[in-house]
Amino acid sequence: MSAVRFAGVSLRYSGAPADALGGITLDIASGSVSWLFGSLGAGCSSLLLVAAGLAPRHSGGTLAGQVTTLGENPHETAGRRALAGRVAYVMATPGVQLSGVAATVWDEAAFAPANLGWPIARIAAAVDAALGRLGIAHLAARHPAALSGGELQRVVIASMLVLAPELWLLDEPASALDRDGRRLLAELLRVEAARGAAVVVATEDADAMLELAQRVIVLDHGRVALDGPPANVLAGEAVWVHADESTTVAGLARAAGRLDSPPPPALRPPYPLTVSEGLARWR
Amino acid sequence: MAMTAGPILEAEGVRVRYAGATAPALDGVTLAVQPGEGVALLGANGAGKTTLLRAAMALVRPERGTLCVAGRDAARCTPEEFADVAGYLFQQPESQLFEQTVRAELGFGPRQLGWAPAPIAAAVAEQLDALELMDAADTHPYDLPSPRHRVVALAATLTVRPRLLLLDEPTAGLDRAARQLVIRAVLRVRTRGAAVLAVTHDGDFALEALDRGLVLEAGRVVADEAIAGLLGSRPDVPELPAAARLSGRLGLAVSSPRFAAVTDALAAHCRSRG
Repeated sequence: MSAVRFAGVSLRYSGAPADALGGITLDIASGSVSWLFGSLGAGCSSLLLVAAGLAPRHSGGTLAGQVTTLGENPHETAGRRALAGRVAYVMATPGVQLSGVAATVWDEAAFAPANLGWPIARIAAAVDAALGRLGIAHLAARHPAALSGGELQRVVIASMLVLAPELWLLDEPASALDRDGRRLLAELLRVEAARGAAVVVATEDADAMLELAQRVIVLDHGRVALDGPPANVLAGEAVWVHADESTTVAGLARAAGRLDSPPPPALRPPYPLTVSEGLARWR
Repeated sequence: MAMTAGPILEAEGVRVRYAGATAPALDGVTLAVQPGEGVALLGANGAGKTTLLRAAMALVRPERGTLCVAGRDAARCTPEEFADVAGYLFQQPESQLFEQTVRAELGFGPRQLGWAPAPIAAAVAEQLDALELMDAADTHPYDLPSPRHRVVALAATLTVRPRLLLLDEPTAGLDRAARQLVIRAVLRVRTRGAAVLAVTHDGDFALEALDRGLVLEAGRVVADEAIAGLLGSRPDVPELPAAARLSGRLGLAVSSPRFAAVTDALAAHCRSRG
């Protein structure tokens, strides 16, 4: 099933000299992890905001084209109502996402389902389970303002997990997470996709996404530059306008290959993607 | 500017406790950071990393122990009194951006310190250039994409030429080009003798820009050693970058696990095999 469908979608923020999104057409399926990737200003965050119906509504600007999120139009009141509680949005800066009215982590995680009018027993079960899955059950009684950045990021993710959303839209969700937190998040997103949710992650962390994503969508100046399985996209040449060589095995192969002309056969594309593929090639 | 000999940052038995908290956020932290050193502050979420940065900027006061920056006792100083020696990049850079243009933002620190207009303009121009912000100089900081807020905030901390740079997750959310700018900026300030203390979960950044790693666990220093050996050695520190892990598994002869050294070694390895 299609979770997010864009047909010729363009976005221009008020006063901006160029489109943030320039005529994007794509379809993101449920039950899989998609990785959004691009340089600053490429449009990754904007795409997530438009899919959630948050831009241009909160940012200002004009939108063109057709956006369909879980079968609804998130840019109309009726569509937004129908989507309440079904879409998880995780902002890059967790401090900004807090409700501001909860005095404990537990209450923060209960905020969305309480607003949706869930019965208290259901809220309690979902909140306890979500805090446990993010490894923050011990923080339940703490004030959100007293948490570290990484703890806060876990709280925000847990607050979305409570809803058992059909669609996850995550913007650099691991930026402040420690190694354990990153492992927990990767596992959580894998399970969510297996449960049938669509998971869309905008991140620069190629190493993590190579293990997790079935699809990478590379944006450039608001347009889709490359789109396909990460193995295909990173094994080729075109991605390296956008990607950092120094963070991946594929980038290492390419950088090493450039030292000789022509590169030795072992350093020519298709590049190995992971440490184990690199070992297999070069051992 | 007269450089005092000895460490730029010196902490002795520092304990910090937030109001209402049962456990202290820092508990007996002792360390010295020398001019030019690059120290990664590592550890699990909630271990006390940001609190240590805050203590070094006199934003929180130790209830026990002493912490001195450039010989000044943090317990007797306000953050303003540290502003000419220490620069702080917050985890949420939005909390330190309040001017109408990027150029004005970069001049904020020197203006507060009473610099004359000409040196302010020169320092601002230098950082606009170094962090590739020329195109955005007259833009409102909030009109830039949010990851670029971090680059602007870093540039603004650098204009006063701090001798101690305190960075909280300086590469979070940055793209390839911006990460390289930050790495180069850190190496540059270290070359001119400033020390850098950076909270990070980014193993690549730590390896390329810093050389010592300090691990905090429940407010205590539990490891303090060369960054190259520390990464990946404990569950609460970042892994080595993929290239370095691969290099280790392949048994390549490398001078360091940094990317450039691994690249050279891999090329040599493949060349020798034809």
